[in-house]
Amino acid sequence: MPEVAMSAFLQNVCAICLTALLISGGLCVYRIVIGPKAADRAVALDTLTSVFIGVICALCIMWKQTFYFDAVWILTLVGFLGSAVIAKYLEKGRVF
Amino acid sequence: MPSIIEIIVAVPMIVGTFLMVVASIGLLRFPDIFCRMHAAGKAGTLGVSLIILAAVFFFVPTSVGVVIRGLLAIAFQFLTTPAATHLLARASYITEYPLSERTAVDELKAYLPSQSDQTYGHE
Repeated sequence: MPEVAMSAFLQNVCAICLTALLISGGLCVYRIVIGPKAADRAVALDTLTSVFIGVICALCIMWKQTFYFDAVWILTLVGFLGSAVIAKYLEKGRVF
Repeated sequence: MPSIIEIIVAVPMIVGTFLMVVASIGLLRFPDIFCRMHAAGKAGTLGVSLIILAAVFFFVPTSVGVVIRGLLAIAFQFLTTPAATHLLARASYITEYPLSERTAVDELKAYLPSQSDQTYGHE
């Protein structure tokens, strides 16, 4: 695989973005802990999945590795399934 | 001085991260679940799509597979996150999640009665 040109600029951008994503993940975890009902926790979990996807993308750019990228769209599908199942359970009291 | 390709990668990265932080702050600060879903469903979707787009731009010269997978992930994200948010909002309205006390008008009440109203035959 040919080497991707990369300077310290993009490394610094990725580090700053990872720090900000860490802070926003912490806010999501705080909402999961204090959320008054299960629906709040489900929404926060959905957002936490999005934050994880962002972290994986930033680490892919930082480390110049492509094989973590499969996790991105797997997480997209699994996050949707989790939210849909929780919504169905809250609405009907059962999943299927 | 960063090159032009690095700026093309860095701008969606920074904007997407900013939107994710905004979504999380909205998730923490808003009063009831419908406002929280407003923050998480809109800003979260666009933010994560922009971050995936940054990774796609970065791997365009080296790997075609990442580009295809990234564009598919963006398409799935735009399809699934609003649907999941809508499902959760509908479920929490039907199960009578208490609205914020600052809610002015509840227009959905005429169309989607809650679980305690027996007129809504849910199976």
